[in-house]
Amino acid sequence: MIETISLLSGVTLRVCRDTRFKQGCLSFQLVRQMDKQEAARNALFPSVLLRGTRRCPDLRSITEYLDTLYGASVSALVRRVGDYQTTGLCCGFMDDRFALPGDKVLQPVLSFLEELLLDSPLEDGGFLTSFVESEKKNLISTIESELNDKRAYAMGQLLKTMCAADTFGLPRLGEPEEVAAIGAKELYAHYRHCLRTSPIEIFYVGSAASGRVAELLQPLLQHLERDVMPLAPQTAFHSCPGQDVVETMDVAQGKLCMGFTTPITNRCPEFPAMQVLNTVFGGGMTSKLFRNVREKLSLCYSVGSGYYSTKGILAVSAGIDFDKEQLTRQEILTQLEACRNGGITPEELKAAKEAILSSLRATHDSPGSIEGYYATAAISGLQMTPAEYMAAVEQVTLEDVAAAARQVRLHTTYFLKGASR
Amino acid sequence: MKRISYPELDETLYTEVLENGLTVTVVPRKGFTKKLAYFVTNYGSIHTDFELEGQAYHAPAGVAHYLEHKMFDLPGDRDVSAEFAALGAMTNAFTSYDMTAYYFSCTEHFQESLHLLLEFVSTPYFTEESVEKERGIIDQEIGMNEDSPDSVVFDNLMQAMYRSHPIRVPILGTCQTIREITPEVLYRCHRAFYTPGNMLLCVIGDVDPEQVADMARQVLGTEKTEVGRKLRPWQEDMNCPAGEVSHTMEVAMSMFNLAFKCEPLEAGDAAIRMEMVADLAAEALFGESSELYLRLYEQGLIDSSFGGGFETVDGCAMLLCSGDSEDAATVRDAILAQAEKIVNEGIPEERFQRMKRSALGRRIRDLDSFDSTCFRICAYHFSDFAYFRFPEVYRGIQASEICDFLGRVVRQPRCGLSIITPIAKEETV
Repeated sequence: MIETISLLSGVTLRVCRDTRFKQGCLSFQLVRQMDKQEAARNALFPSVLLRGTRRCPDLRSITEYLDTLYGASVSALVRRVGDYQTTGLCCGFMDDRFALPGDKVLQPVLSFLEELLLDSPLEDGGFLTSFVESEKKNLISTIESELNDKRAYAMGQLLKTMCAADTFGLPRLGEPEEVAAIGAKELYAHYRHCLRTSPIEIFYVGSAASGRVAELLQPLLQHLERDVMPLAPQTAFHSCPGQDVVETMDVAQGKLCMGFTTPITNRCPEFPAMQVLNTVFGGGMTSKLFRNVREKLSLCYSVGSGYYSTKGILAVSAGIDFDKEQLTRQEILTQLEACRNGGITPEELKAAKEAILSSLRATHDSPGSIEGYYATAAISGLQMTPAEYMAAVEQVTLEDVAAAARQVRLHTTYFLKGASR
Repeated sequence: MKRISYPELDETLYTEVLENGLTVTVVPRKGFTKKLAYFVTNYGSIHTDFELEGQAYHAPAGVAHYLEHKMFDLPGDRDVSAEFAALGAMTNAFTSYDMTAYYFSCTEHFQESLHLLLEFVSTPYFTEESVEKERGIIDQEIGMNEDSPDSVVFDNLMQAMYRSHPIRVPILGTCQTIREITPEVLYRCHRAFYTPGNMLLCVIGDVDPEQVADMARQVLGTEKTEVGRKLRPWQEDMNCPAGEVSHTMEVAMSMFNLAFKCEPLEAGDAAIRMEMVADLAAEALFGESSELYLRLYEQGLIDSSFGGGFETVDGCAMLLCSGDSEDAATVRDAILAQAEKIVNEGIPEERFQRMKRSALGRRIRDLDSFDSTCFRICAYHFSDFAYFRFPEVYRGIQASEICDFLGRVVRQPRCGLSIITPIAKEETV
């Protein structure tokens, strides 16, 4: 299904050829070690690249050019994958078969990607200061606006606290003051350094054959100087003392987040069982948390858990009344205790496994989910295709899930509560 | 079933109106594993006033959404979510201003899941106790929205722009109005609007269209019942009662919603054409390829969070944009001035053709998304339009229609601006 081709030293092209879709997608990612010294710069340069090329010198000329390519899009893509931060660009474009006779889309989109990556307008040996300054402002706003989504904000605060000794606690896009300190010249030098030394992951999904995609990427590859520095392998959670944090703000609803750790990561044989546990415990409308904390006790509208499998972190979040904190906290622990004791019905186990299987089966039904799975799986250390993953989930027993639950430990809690008005 | 091909889009659509009045639409997608079914009623939060069996009713605000929550209860303590989960299907629902949708997606057991969807949405079962219990959950959902600046900025804008249209009230209602909701109210609203004649079943995936229609016949029967007649007592002219509203919240930076009131759309081809004209007008005025976007972006008055388009709801419509800005009033003034400039100068034909090509390409790409396609088919169906006909509508639009639209709509009296600013941090002594 997926063809993997090594194009150059440290440049991997993965191709999922599929003729069912009406659009194609290509992501170009530089893989970096997540590092406080450079996280903000890595998050910034893709946006600066998208501000202009020597041929299309401003945003308007870029959009106009993409409009002629049937509304193709190129966007910045910055991800956290365990210990790594990936940074780069992602293109989405209509399949050639819908274009007017004689028109092509894929070929000019890939040429344009090359232009964006390698033909930025420069001044004084750096990016244009005007581009860098306005994109810094944009990035700072994006980082700060996390505060607007109180649930995401609370979860970010929890992870920051519990990962004080792990790069997983570093914000994906850096801190505002780190962004503010970046200069145009230094950013360009850093970008060129990344382009030369980072492993590069290119993922394509669409109707073209892998050979054709590789051929269309040749002009770009010819211009890359390579001197690759290999990455350290992914590591499990680096612990620090746990805390119970309470923060006060002018809000109507409280957000309770509880961070748990587990030695089980996506590189472990028990990973499928841990994934099933997460779903039984807090994934979706049939989970223990939803059915008990929400439906039985009416304590909240939103409640659920998430499993950060590259690190082995299980995080719960609930939106509740301020005075229900203790009650909710207790109920969440009670439900985890039930999992530990094997208090899981066959229906709960089946529902959780089916939910995971169903979502894995549907992975191949959209270009976005294909890219999302395969472009991160290999670098995250997950060495299973969706089919192998499904086979492993099928094998998970109730005792496997309970055993996984017994390895889960509460580490840190964070509660966002309202100020008295 | 009636079969229509859209070779230009590589799509086929099967459709049939059953004896009971239900429209069934199926978009077969060969070779895909995922199947998605939407069962939708043409009834949303604004439809609080209606007539049924000769009598007029006024329901409390928030009832459509409350009903959506309570539909998941079935007699005999059956748990709908758990039954879907046992089939490996994911179910959910949402309520908008003028539509309520129930849906599931699955990869296996499609027929059983479809049966369950049709069954639970057509089976009202409410008790005093279960309705009471839901109030705590919905109170928390309302609390969550009160802390969401995106919701607050929009709700404030609607109150500034509209005098009496129920879009003034949040979809969820308020903690006060939902206290008036009883089982009796829910049963009545269900009887009025969850009758097959007011609903659409839309399925996408590798399924047999005839089997979908058969299942709908089997579960819903053949009887045709009266559909509640929506009363639209509101009176709206094109002026906004308040031009500008401002509010402070725990946000990182100032943000705004800006809108221009438009004439509500009727149904059918002319309405869809107007919607696509308005979308292109938004692109020409402040889209990423516009002169104005570049200027405001380079001046730092808007940033990458800025965007907008045309919004339409039963009985109202607006050209809307939103984003973060320290000076939204200047953004508004620049938009007013730019519209005048476009109207005076016209849109160059080359630019206009490029915009249409882009809009068309983006809509074609979007068809890969089952959810978005299903949603659009349903929304357009209730406006009496077959969605897959969009390419021909685009082709027919002229640049002059864009200018006419901007000249009519983008004017000061039609403009509302809602701003949220951060709470000023007081120095502690």
